[in-house]
Amino acid sequence: MRRLSVAALVLCTSTMVLAAQPVAKVQLPCESNSQELSPNGSQLAVQCKDHSLLLVEVFGGSARTVISAGQGLNTFVYSPSGAQLAAGFTDGSVEVIGAGGTASKRHWKADSHRIDLLYFSPDYKYLFVGPVDSPGQVWDIRERACCKNQPKEDALPAKAATLPVDFGGISAVAASPDGKLLVAVGDDTVLRWYDTASWQKTRYYRGFLLETFALHFTTDGKQLLAGGADARLTIFDVASGKQLRQTPSEAGASVAFIDVLGNGQTAVVYFDDAGEKPPHALLWDLATLTSAPIKADAPPTCGGVVAGKLQVCTVDGKTLTLSQYQ
Amino acid sequence: MNFTRRELLERCAAFGAITLASSIPVSALAAAWDNAEKKQPTPFCELGPFYKREAPNTSTLRAPGDAGMPLTLSGVVYDVRGEIVPDSKLEIWQTDNDGHYDIEGYRYRTLLQPGTKGAYAIESVMPGHYPTRVCQHVHYLLTAPGHKPVITQLYFATDPVFDGNPDKNYTRDPLITSRELVRPVVIKGDPKQIIAAVNFDLVMETL
Repeated sequence: MRRLSVAALVLCTSTMVLAAQPVAKVQLPCESNSQELSPNGSQLAVQCKDHSLLLVEVFGGSARTVISAGQGLNTFVYSPSGAQLAAGFTDGSVEVIGAGGTASKRHWKADSHRIDLLYFSPDYKYLFVGPVDSPGQVWDIRERACCKNQPKEDALPAKAATLPVDFGGISAVAASPDGKLLVAVGDDTVLRWYDTASWQKTRYYRGFLLETFALHFTTDGKQLLAGGADARLTIFDVASGKQLRQTPSEAGASVAFIDVLGNGQTAVVYFDDAGEKPPHALLWDLATLTSAPIKADAPPTCGGVVAGKLQVCTVDGKTLTLSQYQ
Repeated sequence: MNFTRRELLERCAAFGAITLASSIPVSALAAAWDNAEKKQPTPFCELGPFYKREAPNTSTLRAPGDAGMPLTLSGVVYDVRGEIVPDSKLEIWQTDNDGHYDIEGYRYRTLLQPGTKGAYAIESVMPGHYPTRVCQHVHYLLTAPGHKPVITQLYFATDPVFDGNPDKNYTRDPLITSRELVRPVVIKGDPKQIIAAVNFDLVMETL
C-alpha cells in the first residue's frame, strides 16, 4: 500500500532530520483525499471525492479517468511493475486495468462482499483479494494462451486458492521477494504462511493478541516485519518462522503500513489515527532497533519507497508535491 | 436424535399424534411453522481495530466507582430456525465511559459461554464516544461450531447522534448498515441507581 489511508498523517519533528527534496509538483484534476504512488514514482492513481479514479502522470500532468463515479470503488493498488492497477468495489467485484497507456480492462465478480484488500504477487501471476468478513482469495491473473481469442468470459482470471480465517476477513498480506512464500494475517489475529506453489499452509503463528494491519518482507527476504494494534514491529526469521525481536510498543498508537528502504535495513513505519496518539511515522534501524521520527512540513497523503528512497506526497488544495527523503 | 420441524410434523401425522384437515398437506403446515419461527441473521458490522484475543470470562465489566451510567446487556443466541445455539462463545468489548479502549489489559472485555440456554448478560457502563467514530457502540464476536461467525456492533437508540429518531438518522454513522443494530434502551432501577438495559438477541447462520 503506497496510499496512506489516514486523513492526516503528521510526521514528527526529529533530532535526526532527513532532508526532503521536492521531486515534482502535480496539478490534481479534482479534490482528493486519497492517492497512490506508482512503484517507479512516475504516476499517481488519484481517487476523487466523488469516488472516481484517475491516473495522473507525475511528469507532464496528463490525466485519464479509469473508474467513474458511482461504480463503488473501495480500494486500489498498483502491480509491482506499475503496469497494472487493481481496483476493488463495494459489490465484491474486482477490476485489473492497464496503467501504462493501454486500455485493457478485466472486471469480474470475486465475492458478494465489499473488497477491502488487494495485493499483487511480485511476479504478477496472482492477485490476492480480501473481501470483508470472508476468507481471502488468490486469483491467477495470467493471460492464458488458450483464451487470447476466446470470448471475454474465458479470459477472466481463475480462482487459484482460498485462504481461510477463523472469523472475519484478511487484514494484511505480503509475498516474499522471490514469490515463493505468502503470509496472510486475519481479523482472527492468526498469521498463516503459505507455499505459493501448492497454496498449502506451511506454518502459523498465534502469538498476536491484537490485530495486525501491516506485513512486509525485508528486501533480502530473510525477515518478515509485522505491525498493527500492538503499535510495534515484530520481526520474524523467515527460514524458521520464529519470532526474532520486537520493538518497544508505542502506547496509544497503531501501525498502519510498513515499507523498507533500499538499504534493506531500515523500515518505515506509519502509525495511523486509530490509536489515541496523532498519526506519525518512524524509521526503525532493523540491526540496532533504534528509531528516529521523520520530519515533514505537511501531512502526507501518499508515499512509498521508489528506487530505494522514501518519497512522500503532500497536498495543498489541488496541488500535490512529491518529495524525496535522503 | 434431533428432528427438523418438518420431520417432526410428518412423524406426528404418521403416528396419529396430530390430525390434519384433509385440505392442508403436512408440507404446507411445516413450511408455515418454519416461516413463523425463522429469524434473520444478525447483520454484520465491522470488527474494528481494537479486538483482543483471550479476554477473561466475566459478566461484570463494571468496577465499583467506574464513571458512566450502569448498563446491562443481555440476550439469547439463536440460529435462523429460531432454535437455541447451545455451545457458542461470545466476545464483547467496548470503550470505557470516556471513549478509551483498553489495549494493554482487558478492561471492558469479556469472553462468555452462553451455555445450553443460549443466554448471556453482562454488567457494564454506557460506552463513551470514541474520537474517530460517530456513535456509541459495543462490539460483538460470536462463534459456534457449525455456524458462521457473527461480527457485529450494538448501537443505542438513545445516542444523541440520532436526534431521537434512529429510524431516520441511523445512517449518520456510515458503519451502521442496518437499523436492526440500533437497540432500544430501557431505564430501570430506582432514583439512586439508574440502570440502562438493552436486549440484543443474536442470530447465527448454519454453515
